[in-house]
Amino acid sequence: MNKITEEDPLSLANKALFFQNEEKEKRAAELSIAYKELIFQNEEKEKRAAELIIANKELAFQIEEKEKRAAELIIANKELAFQNAEKEKRAAELIIANKELAFQNEEKEKRAAELIIANKELAFQNEEKEKRAAELIIANKELLAFTYISSHDLQEPLRKIQTFVTIILQNEMNNLSEKGKYNFERMQLAANRMQQLIDDLLAFSRISTTDHKFEKTNLEMIIDEVKSELKDTIIEKKATIEVSEVCDANIIPFQFRQLLYNLISNALKFSNPEVLPHILISSSIVKGTALNNSVPAGLTLPGLPEKFSPQKNYCHISVKDNGIGFEPHFSERIFGVFQKLHSKEVYKGTGIGLAIVKKIVENHKGVIMATGELNKGAAFDIYIPSN
Amino acid sequence: MNIKKLNILLADDDTDDCLFFKEALEAMPVITQFKAVHDGEQLMHLLNRETESLPHVLFLDLNMPRKNGFECLAEIKQNEKLKAMPVVIFSTSYEQEVVNLLYNGGAQYFIRKPSEFAMFKKIIFHVLTLITQDLLTGHVKYIIQPARENFVLTVEDILTI
Repeated sequence: MNKITEEDPLSLANKALFFQNEEKEKRAAELSIAYKELIFQNEEKEKRAAELIIANKELAFQIEEKEKRAAELIIANKELAFQNAEKEKRAAELIIANKELAFQNEEKEKRAAELIIANKELAFQNEEKEKRAAELIIANKELLAFTYISSHDLQEPLRKIQTFVTIILQNEMNNLSEKGKYNFERMQLAANRMQQLIDDLLAFSRISTTDHKFEKTNLEMIIDEVKSELKDTIIEKKATIEVSEVCDANIIPFQFRQLLYNLISNALKFSNPEVLPHILISSSIVKGTALNNSVPAGLTLPGLPEKFSPQKNYCHISVKDNGIGFEPHFSERIFGVFQKLHSKEVYKGTGIGLAIVKKIVENHKGVIMATGELNKGAAFDIYIPSN
Repeated sequence: MNIKKLNILLADDDTDDCLFFKEALEAMPVITQFKAVHDGEQLMHLLNRETESLPHVLFLDLNMPRKNGFECLAEIKQNEKLKAMPVVIFSTSYEQEVVNLLYNGGAQYFIRKPSEFAMFKKIIFHVLTLITQDLLTGHVKYIIQPARENFVLTVEDILTI
Protein backbone atom coordinates (compact mmCIF):
# COMPACT_ATOMS: atom_id res chain seq x y z
CA MET A 1 0.00 0.00 0.00
CA ASN A 2 1.33 3.23 -1.01
CA LYS A 3 -0.84 5.83 0.05
CA ILE A 4 0.67 8.90 -0.13
CA THR A 5 -1.14 11.64 -0.28
CA GLU A 6 -0.01 12.05 -3.49
CA GLU A 7 -0.65 15.27 -4.98
CA ASP A 8 -2.29 15.33 -7.90
CA PRO A 9 0.21 15.37 -10.69
CA LEU A 10 -1.93 18.06 -12.11
CA SER A 11 -1.69 20.22 -9.20
CA LEU A 12 1.97 19.57 -9.23
CA ALA A 13 2.05 20.46 -12.72
CA ASN A 14 -0.03 23.44 -11.97
CA LYS A 15 2.32 24.43 -9.28
CA ALA A 16 5.16 23.86 -11.50
CA LEU A 17 3.42 25.79 -14.13
CA PHE A 18 2.45 28.49 -11.78
CA PHE A 19 6.02 28.58 -10.64
CA GLN A 20 7.17 28.64 -14.12
CA ASN A 21 4.67 31.27 -14.95
CA GLU A 22 5.95 33.25 -12.09
CA GLU A 23 9.33 32.60 -13.28
CA LYS A 24 8.28 33.47 -16.72
CA GLU A 25 6.78 36.63 -15.50
CA LYS A 26 9.85 37.35 -13.59
CA ARG A 27 11.76 36.56 -16.62
CA ALA A 28 9.40 38.72 -18.64
CA ALA A 29 9.71 41.53 -16.19
CA GLU A 30 13.43 41.14 -16.28
CA LEU A 31 13.20 40.98 -20.00
CA SER A 32 11.14 44.06 -20.07
CA ILE A 33 13.66 45.79 -17.95
CA ALA A 34 16.42 44.37 -19.99
CA TYR A 35 14.57 45.41 -23.09
CA LYS A 36 14.20 48.92 -21.75
CA GLU A 37 17.84 48.84 -20.86
CA LEU A 38 18.62 47.64 -24.32
CA ILE A 39 16.50 50.34 -25.89
CA PHE A 40 18.20 52.82 -23.68
CA GLN A 41 21.54 51.44 -24.57
CA ASN A 42 20.56 51.41 -28.21
CA GLU A 43 19.60 55.00 -27.89
CA GLU A 44 22.85 55.68 -26.21
CA LYS A 45 24.61 53.67 -28.83
CA GLU A 46 22.91 55.68 -31.47
CA LYS A 47 23.81 58.88 -29.72
CA ARG A 48 27.32 57.57 -29.52
CA ALA A 49 27.17 56.59 -33.12
CA ALA A 50 25.91 60.02 -34.12
CA GLU A 51 28.61 61.58 -32.01
CA LEU A 52 31.07 59.24 -33.58
CA ILE A 53 29.89 60.21 -37.03
CA ILE A 54 30.34 63.87 -36.12
CA ALA A 55 33.64 63.04 -34.56
CA ASN A 56 34.66 61.11 -37.60
CA LYS A 57 33.58 63.96 -39.84
CA GLU A 58 35.60 66.26 -37.66
CA LEU A 59 38.48 63.86 -37.78
CA ALA A 60 38.20 63.49 -41.53
CA PHE A 61 38.16 67.31 -41.84
CA GLN A 62 41.17 67.58 -39.62
CA ILE A 63 42.90 64.87 -41.52
CA GLU A 64 42.21 66.87 -44.69
CA GLU A 65 43.54 69.99 -43.05
CA LYS A 66 46.57 68.10 -41.81
CA GLU A 67 47.17 66.83 -45.30
CA LYS A 68 46.85 70.35 -46.67
CA ARG A 69 49.32 71.54 -44.06
CA ALA A 70 51.57 68.65 -44.87
CA ALA A 71 51.43 69.51 -48.57
CA GLU A 72 52.13 73.18 -47.78
CA LEU A 73 54.94 72.11 -45.53
CA ILE A 74 56.39 70.06 -48.31
CA ILE A 75 56.24 73.06 -50.61
CA ALA A 76 57.69 75.27 -47.87
CA ASN A 77 60.44 72.80 -47.26
CA LYS A 78 61.23 72.63 -50.94
CA GLU A 79 61.31 76.42 -50.96
CA LEU A 80 63.54 76.44 -47.90
CA ALA A 81 65.79 73.83 -49.38
CA PHE A 82 66.02 75.95 -52.54
CA GLN A 83 66.78 79.06 -50.55
CA ASN A 84 69.37 77.26 -48.56
CA ALA A 85 70.97 76.17 -51.76
CA GLU A 86 70.94 79.80 -52.95
CA LYS A 87 72.33 80.96 -49.61
CA GLU A 88 75.13 78.56 -49.94
CA LYS A 89 75.83 79.76 -53.43
CA ARG A 90 75.87 83.34 -52.15
CA ALA A 91 78.10 82.33 -49.28
CA ALA A 92 80.47 80.69 -51.72
CA GLU A 93 80.47 83.82 -53.92
CA LEU A 94 80.98 85.98 -50.86
CA ILE A 95 84.00 83.97 -49.87
CA ILE A 96 85.46 84.50 -53.33
CA ALA A 97 84.55 88.21 -53.20
CA ASN A 98 86.16 88.58 -49.80
CA LYS A 99 89.31 86.92 -51.04
CA GLU A 100 89.32 89.34 -53.97
CA LEU A 101 88.72 92.28 -51.65
CA ALA A 102 91.50 91.19 -49.32
CA PHE A 103 93.79 90.99 -52.32
CA GLN A 104 92.77 94.42 -53.55
CA ASN A 105 93.20 95.90 -50.10
CA GLU A 106 96.72 94.56 -50.11
CA GLU A 107 97.30 96.13 -53.52
CA LYS A 108 95.76 99.38 -52.32
CA GLU A 109 98.04 99.43 -49.33
CA LYS A 110 101.01 98.84 -51.57
CA ARG A 111 99.88 101.71 -53.81
CA ALA A 112 99.28 103.92 -50.77
CA ALA A 113 102.78 103.23 -49.53
CA GLU A 114 104.19 104.00 -52.98
CA LEU A 115 102.09 107.17 -53.09
CA ILE A 116 103.43 108.32 -49.74
CA ILE A 117 106.96 107.91 -51.05
CA ALA A 118 106.05 109.67 -54.30
CA ASN A 119 104.40 112.52 -52.39
CA LYS A 120 107.44 112.94 -50.18
CA GLU A 121 109.55 113.11 -53.31
CA LEU A 122 107.14 115.61 -54.87
CA ALA A 123 107.05 117.76 -51.73
CA PHE A 124 110.83 117.78 -51.71
CA GLN A 125 110.97 118.74 -55.36
CA ASN A 126 108.38 121.44 -54.82
CA GLU A 127 110.48 122.84 -52.02
CA GLU A 128 113.49 122.83 -54.29
CA LYS A 129 111.46 124.43 -57.05
CA GLU A 130 110.23 127.10 -54.66
CA LYS A 131 113.78 127.74 -53.51
CA ARG A 132 114.90 128.05 -57.14
CA ALA A 133 111.95 130.33 -57.90
CA ALA A 134 112.74 132.53 -54.90
CA GLU A 135 116.41 132.65 -55.90
CA LEU A 136 115.36 133.54 -59.43
CA ILE A 137 113.13 136.36 -58.24
CA ILE A 138 115.97 137.77 -56.13
CA ALA A 139 118.43 137.40 -58.99
CA ASN A 140 116.05 139.14 -61.37
CA LYS A 141 115.42 141.95 -58.91
CA GLU A 142 119.15 142.40 -58.44
CA LEU A 143 119.71 142.40 -62.18
CA LEU A 144 117.03 145.00 -62.74
CA ALA A 145 118.32 147.13 -59.88
CA PHE A 146 121.82 146.85 -61.31
CA THR A 147 120.58 147.74 -64.79
CA TYR A 148 118.69 150.71 -63.43
CA ILE A 149 121.44 152.00 -61.17
CA SER A 150 124.21 151.59 -63.72
CA SER A 151 122.13 153.24 -66.46
CA HIS A 152 121.18 156.02 -64.10
CA ASP A 153 124.70 156.66 -62.83
CA LEU A 154 126.22 156.46 -66.28
CA GLN A 155 124.08 159.35 -67.45
CA GLU A 156 125.86 161.99 -65.47
CA PRO A 157 129.44 161.62 -66.71
CA LEU A 158 128.07 161.11 -70.20
CA ARG A 159 126.19 164.36 -70.01
CA LYS A 160 129.34 166.11 -68.93
CA ILE A 161 131.22 164.77 -71.91
CA GLN A 162 128.46 166.01 -74.18
CA THR A 163 128.29 169.43 -72.56
CA PHE A 164 132.04 169.97 -72.62
CA VAL A 165 132.18 168.97 -76.27
CA THR A 166 129.52 171.55 -77.06
CA ILE A 167 131.39 174.20 -75.09
CA ILE A 168 134.63 173.42 -76.90
CA LEU A 169 132.92 173.41 -80.28
CA GLN A 170 131.29 176.70 -79.42
CA ASN A 171 134.19 178.56 -77.86
CA GLU A 172 137.24 177.04 -79.56
CA MET A 173 135.82 177.04 -83.10
CA ASN A 174 138.62 179.20 -84.38
CA ASN A 175 141.36 177.29 -82.59
CA LEU A 176 140.46 173.93 -83.99
CA SER A 177 141.57 172.45 -87.27
CA GLU A 178 139.00 170.87 -89.57
CA LYS A 179 140.19 167.48 -88.41
CA GLY A 180 139.88 168.59 -84.80
CA LYS A 181 136.31 169.81 -85.34
CA TYR A 182 135.41 166.59 -87.10
CA ASN A 183 136.86 164.48 -84.29
CA PHE A 184 134.87 166.39 -81.68
CA GLU A 185 131.74 166.03 -83.76
CA ARG A 186 132.27 162.27 -83.99
CA MET A 187 132.80 162.27 -80.22
CA GLN A 188 129.51 164.08 -79.88
CA LEU A 189 127.74 161.51 -82.02
CA ALA A 190 129.18 158.65 -80.02
CA ALA A 191 128.21 160.29 -76.74
CA ASN A 192 124.69 160.93 -78.05
CA ARG A 193 124.49 157.32 -79.11
CA MET A 194 125.48 156.24 -75.63
CA GLN A 195 122.79 158.53 -74.23
CA GLN A 196 120.24 156.84 -76.43
CA LEU A 197 121.38 153.40 -75.31
CA ILE A 198 121.22 154.33 -71.65
CA ASP A 199 117.78 155.90 -72.04
CA ASP A 200 116.53 152.80 -73.76
CA LEU A 201 118.09 150.47 -71.22
CA LEU A 202 116.48 152.46 -68.42
CA ALA A 203 113.11 152.34 -70.18
CA PHE A 204 113.50 148.60 -70.61
CA SER A 205 114.37 147.99 -66.97
CA ARG A 206 111.54 150.20 -65.83
CA ILE A 207 108.98 148.12 -67.68
CA SER A 208 109.63 145.26 -65.29
CA THR A 209 109.92 147.18 -62.07
CA THR A 210 106.90 149.43 -62.09
CA ASP A 211 103.65 148.36 -60.52
CA HIS A 212 101.33 146.33 -62.66
CA LYS A 213 97.74 147.49 -62.46
CA PHE A 214 95.50 145.66 -64.87
CA GLU A 215 92.41 147.42 -66.19
CA LYS A 216 89.75 146.34 -68.65
CA THR A 217 90.44 148.71 -71.53
CA ASN A 218 89.05 149.20 -75.01
CA LEU A 219 92.02 148.82 -77.34
CA GLU A 220 90.61 151.28 -79.86
CA MET A 221 91.16 154.04 -77.32
CA ILE A 222 94.82 153.12 -76.90
CA ILE A 223 95.29 152.84 -80.67
CA ASP A 224 93.82 156.33 -81.10
CA GLU A 225 96.17 157.74 -78.46
CA VAL A 226 99.17 156.22 -80.21
CA LYS A 227 97.99 157.46 -83.62
CA SER A 228 97.76 160.96 -82.20
CA GLU A 229 101.28 160.73 -80.73
CA LEU A 230 102.64 159.60 -84.12
CA LYS A 231 100.51 162.07 -86.05
CA ASP A 232 103.44 163.93 -87.59
CA THR A 233 105.21 160.81 -88.85
CA ILE A 234 101.95 159.36 -90.18
CA ILE A 235 101.32 162.49 -92.20
CA GLU A 236 104.94 162.71 -93.35
CA LYS A 237 104.94 159.13 -94.61
CA LYS A 238 101.40 159.40 -96.00
CA ALA A 239 100.59 156.25 -94.05
CA THR A 240 97.18 154.72 -93.48
CA ILE A 241 96.39 152.88 -90.31
CA GLU A 242 93.39 150.61 -90.58
CA VAL A 243 91.73 149.11 -87.53
CA SER A 244 89.62 146.16 -88.64
CA GLU A 245 88.36 144.70 -85.37
CA VAL A 246 88.64 145.80 -81.79
CA CYS A 247 87.88 144.26 -78.48
CA ASP A 248 88.34 144.98 -74.83
CA ALA A 249 91.32 143.51 -73.07
CA ASN A 250 92.55 143.24 -69.50
CA ILE A 251 95.82 145.16 -69.73
CA ILE A 252 98.19 147.61 -68.06
CA PRO A 253 97.17 150.67 -70.09
CA PHE A 254 100.37 152.70 -70.06
CA GLN A 255 102.50 149.65 -70.88
CA PHE A 256 100.20 148.61 -73.69
CA ARG A 257 100.31 152.13 -75.08
CA GLN A 258 104.10 151.79 -75.17
CA LEU A 259 103.78 148.41 -76.88
CA LEU A 260 101.50 149.69 -79.63
CA TYR A 261 103.58 152.83 -80.01
CA ASN A 262 106.71 150.75 -80.57
CA LEU A 263 105.03 148.40 -83.05
CA ILE A 264 103.35 151.14 -85.05
CA SER A 265 106.39 153.42 -85.07
CA ASN A 266 108.47 150.47 -86.26
CA ALA A 267 105.96 149.83 -89.03
CA LEU A 268 106.28 153.48 -90.07
CA LYS A 269 110.08 153.46 -89.77
CA PHE A 270 110.60 150.26 -91.72
CA SER A 271 108.20 151.16 -94.49
CA ASN A 272 109.00 150.60 -98.13
CA PRO A 273 109.90 153.98 -99.70
CA GLU A 274 108.19 152.96 -102.97
CA VAL A 275 104.91 151.95 -101.34
CA LEU A 276 102.54 154.03 -99.23
CA PRO A 277 102.66 152.46 -95.79
CA HIS A 278 99.53 150.59 -94.79
CA ILE A 279 99.25 149.25 -91.27
CA LEU A 280 96.46 146.86 -90.34
CA ILE A 281 95.57 146.42 -86.70
CA SER A 282 92.99 144.02 -85.39
CA SER A 283 92.11 142.57 -82.03
CA SER A 284 89.62 139.85 -81.20
CA ILE A 285 88.86 137.20 -78.63
CA VAL A 286 89.67 133.62 -79.56
CA LYS A 287 89.24 130.38 -77.68
CA GLY A 288 92.23 128.28 -76.78
CA THR A 289 90.82 125.33 -78.72
CA ALA A 290 90.55 127.39 -81.92
CA LEU A 291 94.16 128.48 -81.57
CA ASN A 292 95.40 124.94 -81.01
CA ASN A 293 93.50 123.82 -84.08
CA SER A 294 94.84 126.57 -86.29
CA VAL A 295 98.46 125.62 -85.64
CA PRO A 296 99.36 122.72 -87.90
CA ALA A 297 100.25 119.64 -85.90
CA GLY A 298 103.93 119.21 -85.27
CA LEU A 299 104.75 122.75 -86.31
CA THR A 300 106.37 124.72 -83.54
CA LEU A 301 106.19 128.39 -84.29
CA PRO A 302 108.80 130.35 -82.37
CA GLY A 303 107.21 132.30 -79.54
CA LEU A 304 104.03 130.23 -79.51
CA PRO A 305 103.46 127.79 -76.67
CA GLU A 306 103.05 124.15 -77.60
CA LYS A 307 99.46 124.27 -76.64
CA PHE A 308 97.05 127.00 -75.68
CA SER A 309 94.88 126.21 -72.69
CA PRO A 310 91.65 125.07 -74.36
CA GLN A 311 89.36 126.40 -71.63
CA LYS A 312 90.83 129.89 -71.66
CA ASN A 313 89.96 132.82 -73.85
CA TYR A 314 92.75 134.79 -75.44
CA CYS A 315 92.84 138.27 -76.87
CA HIS A 316 94.62 138.12 -80.21
CA ILE A 317 96.13 141.41 -81.31
CA SER A 318 97.70 141.63 -84.74
CA VAL A 319 99.75 144.44 -86.30
CA LYS A 320 100.58 143.95 -89.96
CA ASP A 321 102.48 146.23 -92.29
CA ASN A 322 103.53 146.30 -95.93
CA GLY A 323 107.05 147.54 -95.31
CA ILE A 324 110.48 146.09 -95.93
CA GLY A 325 109.82 143.01 -93.82
CA PHE A 326 112.59 140.67 -92.71
CA GLU A 327 113.98 137.25 -93.53
CA PRO A 328 112.01 134.57 -91.66
CA HIS A 329 115.05 133.21 -89.87
CA PHE A 330 115.36 136.49 -87.94
CA SER A 331 111.90 136.15 -86.42
CA GLU A 332 113.27 135.53 -82.93
CA ARG A 333 116.45 137.57 -83.06
CA ILE A 334 114.57 140.82 -83.61
CA PHE A 335 113.19 140.61 -80.08
CA GLY A 336 116.69 140.67 -78.57
CA VAL A 337 117.93 143.64 -76.55
CA PHE A 338 119.78 146.09 -78.81
CA GLN A 339 119.40 143.70 -81.76
CA LYS A 340 119.10 145.40 -85.12
CA LEU A 341 118.98 143.99 -88.61
CA HIS A 342 120.44 147.14 -90.13
CA SER A 343 123.20 149.49 -89.17
CA LYS A 344 122.23 152.64 -87.34
CA GLU A 345 123.24 154.76 -90.30
CA VAL A 346 120.51 153.16 -92.40
CA TYR A 347 117.78 153.04 -89.81
CA LYS A 348 118.16 154.95 -86.57
CA GLY A 349 117.40 153.46 -83.22
CA THR A 350 119.11 151.28 -80.65
CA GLY A 351 117.22 148.04 -81.28
CA ILE A 352 115.39 148.09 -77.95
CA GLY A 353 111.87 148.66 -79.29
CA LEU A 354 110.86 145.03 -79.81
CA ALA A 355 112.68 143.89 -76.65
CA ILE A 356 110.42 146.28 -74.75
CA VAL A 357 107.37 145.00 -76.65
CA LYS A 358 108.23 141.42 -75.77
CA LYS A 359 108.79 142.30 -72.10
CA ILE A 360 105.41 144.02 -71.96
CA VAL A 361 103.73 140.99 -73.53
CA GLU A 362 105.42 138.80 -70.92
CA ASN A 363 104.17 141.11 -68.16
CA HIS A 364 100.69 140.31 -69.48
CA LYS A 365 101.45 136.54 -69.38
CA GLY A 366 101.13 136.42 -73.13
CA VAL A 367 103.19 135.45 -76.15
CA ILE A 368 104.29 137.31 -79.25
CA MET A 369 105.18 135.96 -82.62
CA ALA A 370 106.75 137.71 -85.58
CA THR A 371 106.43 136.64 -89.19
CA GLY A 372 108.00 138.44 -92.09
CA GLU A 373 108.95 138.25 -95.69
CA LEU A 374 111.61 140.42 -97.23
CA ASN A 375 110.07 143.40 -99.05
CA LYS A 376 106.55 142.12 -98.44
CA GLY A 377 106.03 143.21 -94.88
CA ALA A 378 105.95 142.05 -91.29
CA ALA A 379 103.23 140.79 -89.02
CA PHE A 380 103.24 140.70 -85.24
CA ASP A 381 100.73 138.46 -83.47
CA ILE A 382 100.21 138.85 -79.76
CA TYR A 383 98.13 136.49 -77.63
CA ILE A 384 97.29 137.47 -74.07
CA PRO A 385 94.92 135.72 -71.65
CA SER A 386 91.57 137.44 -71.82
CA ASN A 387 90.77 137.45 -68.13
CA MET B 1 107.80 194.08 -56.37
CA ASN B 2 110.64 195.48 -58.40
CA ILE B 3 113.42 193.14 -59.39
CA LYS B 4 116.57 194.92 -60.51
CA LYS B 5 119.01 192.12 -59.95
CA LEU B 6 118.07 188.47 -59.78
CA ASN B 7 119.55 186.76 -56.76
CA ILE B 8 120.16 183.14 -57.70
CA LEU B 9 121.20 180.30 -55.43
CA LEU B 10 122.38 176.98 -56.79
CA ALA B 11 122.63 173.84 -54.68
CA ASP B 12 124.64 171.23 -56.58
CA ASP B 13 127.52 169.05 -55.47
CA ASP B 14 128.96 168.71 -58.98
CA THR B 15 131.80 171.13 -59.77
CA ASP B 16 131.29 170.94 -63.52
CA ASP B 17 127.57 171.64 -63.28
CA CYS B 18 128.21 174.65 -61.07
CA LEU B 19 130.71 175.88 -63.64
CA PHE B 20 128.26 175.39 -66.51
CA PHE B 21 125.58 177.23 -64.57
CA LYS B 22 127.85 180.16 -63.77
CA GLU B 23 129.01 180.46 -67.36
CA ALA B 24 125.42 180.24 -68.58
CA LEU B 25 124.38 183.10 -66.27
CA GLU B 26 127.29 185.21 -67.45
CA ALA B 27 126.11 184.84 -71.01
CA MET B 28 122.62 186.01 -70.04
CA PRO B 29 121.18 189.47 -70.77
CA VAL B 30 120.04 189.61 -67.17
CA ILE B 31 121.87 190.97 -64.20
CA THR B 32 122.24 188.20 -61.71
CA GLN B 33 123.89 187.57 -58.42
CA PHE B 34 125.02 183.98 -58.17
CA LYS B 35 125.95 181.80 -55.21
CA ALA B 36 126.53 178.06 -55.07
CA VAL B 37 126.40 175.59 -52.19
CA HIS B 38 127.46 171.98 -52.49
CA ASP B 39 125.42 169.92 -50.06
CA GLY B 40 121.97 169.94 -48.50
CA GLU B 41 123.09 170.81 -44.99
CA GLN B 42 125.10 173.75 -46.24
CA LEU B 43 122.03 174.89 -48.15
CA MET B 44 119.66 174.79 -45.19
CA HIS B 45 122.16 176.52 -42.89
CA LEU B 46 122.52 179.30 -45.42
CA LEU B 47 118.78 179.72 -45.96
CA ASN B 48 117.95 179.71 -42.28
CA ARG B 49 120.65 182.27 -41.61
CA GLU B 50 119.88 184.82 -44.31
CA THR B 51 116.27 185.63 -43.65
CA GLU B 52 116.52 189.25 -44.84
CA SER B 53 117.88 188.74 -48.30
CA LEU B 54 116.60 185.37 -49.46
CA PRO B 55 117.48 184.44 -53.01
CA HIS B 56 114.81 185.13 -55.62
CA VAL B 57 115.09 181.58 -56.85
CA LEU B 58 116.78 178.35 -55.76
CA PHE B 59 118.05 175.86 -58.31
CA LEU B 60 118.11 172.53 -56.52
CA ASP B 61 119.92 169.35 -57.56
CA LEU B 62 118.45 166.11 -56.22
CA ASN B 63 121.51 164.01 -55.47
CA MET B 64 123.54 165.81 -52.88
CA PRO B 65 125.54 164.49 -49.96
CA ARG B 66 124.37 164.91 -46.33
CA LYS B 67 120.91 166.06 -47.29
CA ASN B 68 119.37 165.46 -50.69
CA GLY B 69 117.11 167.66 -52.78
CA PHE B 70 113.87 166.00 -51.66
CA GLU B 71 114.60 166.62 -48.01
CA CYS B 72 115.61 170.22 -48.64
CA LEU B 73 112.46 170.89 -50.66
CA ALA B 74 110.30 169.49 -47.87
CA GLU B 75 112.03 171.60 -45.24
CA ILE B 76 111.78 174.75 -47.34
CA LYS B 77 108.08 174.34 -48.07
CA GLN B 78 107.33 173.68 -44.41
CA ASN B 79 109.18 176.79 -43.30
CA GLU B 80 106.97 179.91 -43.10
CA LYS B 81 109.87 182.17 -43.97
CA LEU B 82 111.13 180.10 -46.88
CA LYS B 83 108.10 178.66 -48.55
CA ALA B 84 107.43 181.61 -50.83
CA MET B 85 110.80 181.11 -52.53
CA PRO B 86 110.45 179.34 -55.88
CA VAL B 87 112.48 176.14 -56.15
CA VAL B 88 113.54 174.90 -59.57
CA ILE B 89 114.61 171.27 -59.59
CA PHE B 90 117.65 170.83 -61.78
CA SER B 91 118.30 167.14 -62.28
CA THR B 92 120.27 164.71 -64.43
CA SER B 93 117.55 162.14 -64.94
CA TYR B 94 113.85 162.18 -65.60
CA GLU B 95 111.30 159.79 -64.12
CA GLN B 96 107.56 160.26 -64.10
CA GLU B 97 107.08 159.13 -60.50
CA VAL B 98 109.88 161.37 -59.21
CA VAL B 99 108.54 164.37 -61.11
CA ASN B 100 105.07 163.83 -59.63
CA LEU B 101 106.58 163.61 -56.17
CA LEU B 102 108.41 166.90 -56.68
CA TYR B 103 105.34 168.68 -58.02
CA ASN B 104 103.33 167.54 -55.02
CA GLY B 105 106.21 168.67 -52.81
CA GLY B 106 105.75 172.23 -54.02
CA ALA B 107 108.61 172.69 -56.50
CA GLN B 108 108.06 175.38 -59.09
CA TYR B 109 109.63 173.84 -62.18
CA PHE B 110 111.52 170.72 -63.15
CA ILE B 111 114.38 170.83 -65.62
CA ARG B 112 116.41 167.91 -66.87
CA LYS B 113 119.97 169.15 -67.36
CA PRO B 114 120.56 169.39 -71.12
CA SER B 115 123.72 167.92 -72.58
CA GLU B 116 124.25 170.64 -75.14
CA PHE B 117 125.61 173.78 -73.64
CA ALA B 118 123.64 176.03 -75.97
CA MET B 119 120.44 174.38 -74.77
CA PHE B 120 121.66 174.65 -71.19
CA LYS B 121 121.87 178.40 -71.55
CA LYS B 122 118.55 178.69 -73.31
CA ILE B 123 116.64 176.70 -70.76
CA ILE B 124 118.05 178.64 -67.84
CA PHE B 125 117.10 181.87 -69.54
CA HIS B 126 113.62 180.51 -70.17
CA VAL B 127 113.09 179.47 -66.58
CA LEU B 128 114.41 182.76 -65.23
CA THR B 129 111.88 184.55 -67.41
CA LEU B 130 109.11 182.40 -66.04
CA ILE B 131 110.30 182.82 -62.45
CA THR B 132 110.37 186.58 -62.81
CA GLN B 133 106.75 186.51 -64.02
CA ASP B 134 105.78 184.15 -61.17
CA LEU B 135 107.37 186.44 -58.60
CA LEU B 136 105.57 189.46 -59.99
CA THR B 137 102.18 187.78 -59.96
CA GLY B 138 102.77 186.00 -56.67
CA HIS B 139 102.31 186.99 -53.12
CA VAL B 140 104.85 187.89 -50.48
CA LYS B 141 103.80 184.99 -48.31
CA TYR B 142 103.45 182.31 -50.97
CA ILE B 143 104.15 181.58 -54.60
CA ILE B 144 101.66 180.16 -57.05
CA GLN B 145 102.72 176.85 -58.58
CA PRO B 146 102.22 176.45 -62.34
CA ALA B 147 99.79 173.82 -63.64
CA ARG B 148 101.09 170.25 -63.71
CA GLU B 149 101.42 170.22 -67.49
CA ASN B 150 103.65 173.28 -67.32
CA PHE B 151 105.81 171.95 -64.50
CA VAL B 152 108.43 170.18 -66.62
CA LEU B 153 110.47 172.43 -68.88
CA THR B 154 112.08 170.71 -71.81
CA VAL B 155 114.41 171.64 -74.62
CA GLU B 156 111.49 171.06 -77.02
CA ASP B 157 109.51 173.78 -75.20
CA ILE B 158 112.27 176.27 -75.91
CA LEU B 159 112.66 175.31 -79.53
CA THR B 160 108.99 175.91 -80.19
CA ILE B 161 109.06 179.41 -78.73
